Amino acid sequence: MNKYIKKTLFYIAIVIVCVIMISPVYILAKVSFSDKAEVLTQHPTLLLHNPTLEHWKNVFRAGNLWDPLRRSVLVSTGTTCLSLLIVVPAAYVVSRMSKKMKYLFILTLFFTRMIPSVAIALPISVTFIKMDLTDTVLGLILANMISQIPFMAWILVSSFSGIPVTLDEAAAIDGASKFQVIKKVILPVAMQGIAVAAMYVWLNSWNEFTYAMYLSTNSKTMPLMIYYYVSRGSIFERAAYATILAIPVMFITFILQRYLKPDYLGGSVKG
Amino acid sequence: MKQKKFLKKYGFNIVLILPLVIFILGFTIAPILQTIQISFKDSATSAWTLNNYKSVIDRGIFGEAVFNTLAITAIGLVLQMVMGYLIASMLRKTFIGKGLARMLVLLPMGIPTMVSGVAMLYVFSTSGYLNEILYRLNIASIPIDWTATKLRSLIVIAFADSWKVMPMVVMLFLAGLEAISKEIYEAADVDGARTWAKFYYITLPQLKDTVTMTVLTRVVDLLRIFELPKVLVGQSTPFLATIAYEEYSYNNMGNSAVASTLLLGIILIVVTLYLILFEREKKVKH
Repeated sequence: MNKYIKKTLFYIAIVIVCVIMISPVYILAKVSFSDKAEVLTQHPTLLLHNPTLEHWKNVFRAGNLWDPLRRSVLVSTGTTCLSLLIVVPAAYVVSRMSKKMKYLFILTLFFTRMIPSVAIALPISVTFIKMDLTDTVLGLILANMISQIPFMAWILVSSFSGIPVTLDEAAAIDGASKFQVIKKVILPVAMQGIAVAAMYVWLNSWNEFTYAMYLSTNSKTMPLMIYYYVSRGSIFERAAYATILAIPVMFITFILQRYLKPDYLGGSVKG
Repeated sequence: MKQKKFLKKYGFNIVLILPLVIFILGFTIAPILQTIQISFKDSATSAWTLNNYKSVIDRGIFGEAVFNTLAITAIGLVLQMVMGYLIASMLRKTFIGKGLARMLVLLPMGIPTMVSGVAMLYVFSTSGYLNEILYRLNIASIPIDWTATKLRSLIVIAFADSWKVMPMVVMLFLAGLEAISKEIYEAADVDGARTWAKFYYITLPQLKDTVTMTVLTRVVDLLRIFELPKVLVGQSTPFLATIAYEEYSYNNMGNSAVASTLLLGIILIVVTLYLILFEREKKVKH
């Protein structure tokens, strides 16, 4: 008897947890398809009774969507490419360093990850105003790289360290130059780690908010657009924009789930 | 000759690593030093001064921001560690629908922080969904204003943050629990250990590395919380990071730098304290 009560309680707890985890997402999607009367009332309905595409049509018709969307895509893609260009070679060198040097490098990365964005954004924005980089895609890319480069280096050093040095040595004996070793041996072997790191960085830049706040006056990225509609109190636009922002994230995380290692999340490197 | 040899051996490595080093020096180390410098300089005369700090302390809002920042960290951390551990240990059991439950728990990972903030607005607004559910369950007949008091605002933000990071915390705990060998528990069962004793004497010590890593990442992120308060409560509940932005947007660079420097100082102190308090015995052992 006792065993059954225990089991029932366990299932109740699981169901409660699941409901809590899914309901914010459900509500968000529900509001974006809801009739106004269902939401703007003292007692909003829990189920979708009269689905409508009205708010979505408004968002697409208003024409405010395409500019921020294009900007966000450009900034995230640019950040990913430039970060890869800087981090991949450096991470390879660090992964082949002595344990002591590697530890020192990791420690520096750990320190830079503790710095709050607002502390870096202030002088960066002062400098960017002087250099006419505010409101530009390049300015946002450079700013996003500040937080993404340590993150990417962290993942890549860890994944390159997993490639045995004997592989480099074998290639070197066969007469490969260092550049060839990286291009023909390391990159193909580490492709999965690099792809995962690149996708993470793309996602993080896609969601980036703090630097975008500091560095934008007229032009907005998608997160700024959402914030704009939140501060204006537009109930339906913010739901629609939030859903649009979430779509690529959900898609990429779905792909990433298979390759997810808790190490990446905590940002630790073993060894 | 010696130099040439050195260059030949390490030159290529230096070329490969240099862009990264330059970027970190130029875009992270230099700005952070600049911020600290701005916080100690008079904005008009650029002479060294403590006036920024004095004027900031005189304004009550900064004390409030420091309090709120520490409070949200404490509330969020407790909530996330307890819930993370409980959910992880639930997901380790075998039950019907485990795959689905796991997928739903990991779902917030695919939701941007900004979006989770917007979703929480619908949940916690006065005519929102939480009030509606409480009303239907006959728990609260009058809608509750969830952001009316400071404590409630803090709890709402802590809840929103916990929801968003739960996948990460759960995954870290799952990996940590996975690493504990079952034999230890079996031995404890043979000795007749109670459930809480097993938790206190086996699970907790064995999870120490997991807990350290989770606490450190969460504490740092909670202390610099920015997006969620901005979306959920606006300016009514100030935090150090949001104050830094407000002051910047009013063109008070000095005050913004003070808030940032204070925040950085608090982060460094909290992380160091944690490492000293909880990692000391480990060092002695090795």
